[in-house]
Amino acid sequence: MRIVSTLFVAFSAAVVLTSCGAGGDNQGTEYAPNMYHSVAYEPYSQITDEDAGRWLTSIDYPDGHAEFYNSNKFNPYRMNMRESAPHTVARNKHGWLPYRLGKDSLAFAAANVKSPLDSTAAIIADGKVLYETYCDHCHGPKGKGDGKVAAGGIKVEVNGEQKERSIYAGVANLTSDALKGVSEGHIFHVITMGKGLMWSHGSQISPEDRWKIAKYVKTLQK
Amino acid sequence: MSSDSRFVPLVLKTDTEPNMNRNFISSACKFLSLVFVFAFLNLTSNAQEISKEPAAISAGETLFNANCKACHRVKSKLVGPALQNVYDRAPSIDWIKSFVKNSSGVIASGDDYANKLYNEFNKTQMTAFSSFKDADIMNILAYIKAETEKVAVTQVPNGPVPPTGGGDGGVSKTYLDVILAGMLLILVLLLIILGFLVSALKRFLDQKELSEEEKEVVHSPITLGTVTSSSGFIFIVVFLAGALGFKAVINGLYSIGIQQGYAPKQPIAFSHKIHAGQLEIDCKYCHVGVMKGKSATIPSVNICMNCHNQIKEGQQTGTGEIAKITAAWENKKPIEWVRIHNLPDLAYFNHSQHVNVAGVECQTCHGPIETMDVVRQHSLLTMGWCIDCHRKTDVNTKGNAYYDKLVELHKEKSKTPMKVEDEGGLECAKCHY
Repeated sequence: MRIVSTLFVAFSAAVVLTSCGAGGDNQGTEYAPNMYHSVAYEPYSQITDEDAGRWLTSIDYPDGHAEFYNSNKFNPYRMNMRESAPHTVARNKHGWLPYRLGKDSLAFAAANVKSPLDSTAAIIADGKVLYETYCDHCHGPKGKGDGKVAAGGIKVEVNGEQKERSIYAGVANLTSDALKGVSEGHIFHVITMGKGLMWSHGSQISPEDRWKIAKYVKTLQK
Repeated sequence: MSSDSRFVPLVLKTDTEPNMNRNFISSACKFLSLVFVFAFLNLTSNAQEISKEPAAISAGETLFNANCKACHRVKSKLVGPALQNVYDRAPSIDWIKSFVKNSSGVIASGDDYANKLYNEFNKTQMTAFSSFKDADIMNILAYIKAETEKVAVTQVPNGPVPPTGGGDGGVSKTYLDVILAGMLLILVLLLIILGFLVSALKRFLDQKELSEEEKEVVHSPITLGTVTSSSGFIFIVVFLAGALGFKAVINGLYSIGIQQGYAPKQPIAFSHKIHAGQLEIDCKYCHVGVMKGKSATIPSVNICMNCHNQIKEGQQTGTGEIAKITAAWENKKPIEWVRIHNLPDLAYFNHSQHVNVAGVECQTCHGPIETMDVVRQHSLLTMGWCIDCHRKTDVNTKGNAYYDKLVELHKEKSKTPMKVEDEGGLECAKCHY
C-alpha cells in the first residue's frame, strides 16, 4: 500500500506541475513574478489594473496601488509615453530641424529642398538596403510599381472560392517617363508626406534615411 | 470582321446552358448581339479614328501599365477617373492629347471641362506627360477602347497557391509509422514463438516422470489473476510508473518561469503568414525600432493604415478584423497588443545590438515567424539559451572599425574565429546590472 500511496503523490505532483508550462493563452507559471512585472515603465508591458499583484505586495505605495501597477494616471490611456512638449523643436544628431513644409508644397519642395548627402557609393548602398526594407514590397525591386503588395494577381482560396488577394491599387511606377526627371527633394517630400494613394512614411523612416532612399531611387531611374 | 468573332462567342458563353436545348434562344441571342455590335461600331466610328490593330493595343498596354496605372484604371475610379469611354466623353481627341501632355496648361487656359474635372478630383493635378508623342496617346486610347469593349470576361480560375512548408514533417511521420508497425509485427511474432516454446516444453516435461507438485506447477493455468499477482509484473508496473512520474515531475519543474510556446489571442487576428510570408513585407517596415533601440516596437496604427486605408478585406477573416484597425484610427485609440516575449527585469536585452550590429536574422530567435498565423514564443529565452548562442556565434566584425583592434588581439592568442564570448559575451554585468 505504501507503494500505491507514493505513486499517487508522484502522479498528482506531475499533474500539478504540467500546468506550469506555457501554451496558447496560458503564460505559464512565473518563477519570480516581481521580475516579470516591471515596476519601471517598459514598452508593451503596461499594467493599468491597480490591484494587480496585491498578493505579493509588501511595500505601502503612497497611492495604495499594488506591486504590478506601472501606469501613469495623468496621461491619456494611462500611457507612459508622451508627445514632446508644445513649442519645442527636436533636432537629430546632425542638428537638422524637423521638415515642416506642408503636404501641398510638393512643387516648392521639388524645386528648392536639396539633399544634404553626397552621392557616394556607400550612401547609395545604404539607400538600396533601406529601399528594400521600406519601398520594395509596393514599388518593386526595380521601381516599376510591381511589388508583391501592388501587383497581387495571386488567387487564394477563401471558403472554397477562388478570390483575388487584396492588393494595393495605384502604386507609382518610379521609372515612368513622368517620374524619371523628379528631383531628390520631390522624392523626399513624397516619402515624408505621401502623394496620391501613398500615405506618409515620415514616422517610420528618419530624414537621413529618406535622403538615402531618394539617392537610390535616382539610380533606379537612370 | 475581326471584332465580331471576338464578341459573339463571349455573348454565347454567358447565355447558353449546356444541358438545355435552347437552339432558338441562342441563335436569337447571336443575332441580337451582332446587331448590337454593328450599332456600337457605327456610333463610335464617327467620333474618332482609334486603331483596332493588336500591335497598337499591345503598345498602348505597355505604355498604360508603365505610366497611367498608378492613378487610373479602365473600369474603376482610383486617384483619377475611370478611363472607359473617355474618347466619347472628353470634348475631343485633340483635347485628350493636349491634357495628357500638359494638364496644368489646359486647366489654366480656363477650359470648362478640364476645370470641372480638376474640382471633382479634389484639385489633384495630373502629372504632365510631355514626353508622349501623339502616336503614343493614340496607342493608349486603343488599349483603353479594347479594354472598355471587353465584355466581362469569365475569370480564369488560377490554381490555389501551393501550400508552403509543412511538407517535410509528413515524410518523417510516415517513416515513423512504418517503423512502429514493423516493431509491433516483430513483437506479435515473438509472442507466437514463445507460445510454441511453452507448449513444446510442456509436452517434453509430460514425457518425464514428475511428482504431483511438479505436475501442478507445469499445468498451473495462466489467468489474469496469476499474472497480476506475480512479483515480476508488480516490479515492472511500479518501475514504469515511477520512471514516468519522475520524468513528468522534472519536466514540470523545468517549465516554471519558461514561456516557450506562449501564443496569446491578440486584439486583432493579425497574421504574420500573410504579411511577412506571402506578401514578403520586410519585418523592419513595421517593426521600425529594431535597428535603433532596445525594443523592436510594435507598429502604431498609422503604419497599418499605410496599406489598410485601401485594403479592407482579408483572406482569412474577411472585413471584421481589418475594421478594428480603421476604428482605432478614426477614434484615435491605440490598440493594446498582448506582449509575448517578456524577459524578467534582471536581464537586459537590446534588439539593435543583435540585429543592427551583429546582423542576426529575426528568425534566429523568433523562429519561422513568416509561417505563423498566431505568433508564439519560439525560443526558451533562458540564460542557458543566451549563453549557448554567445559561445557558438562568430562576431560580425566585417566593415566595423570598432572590432579591428579586438580582432588583431584575438588573432595573436587564438586560431579560431572570435566568438561573442571572446569579447565579453559571458560577462555577468553585460546583461545583469
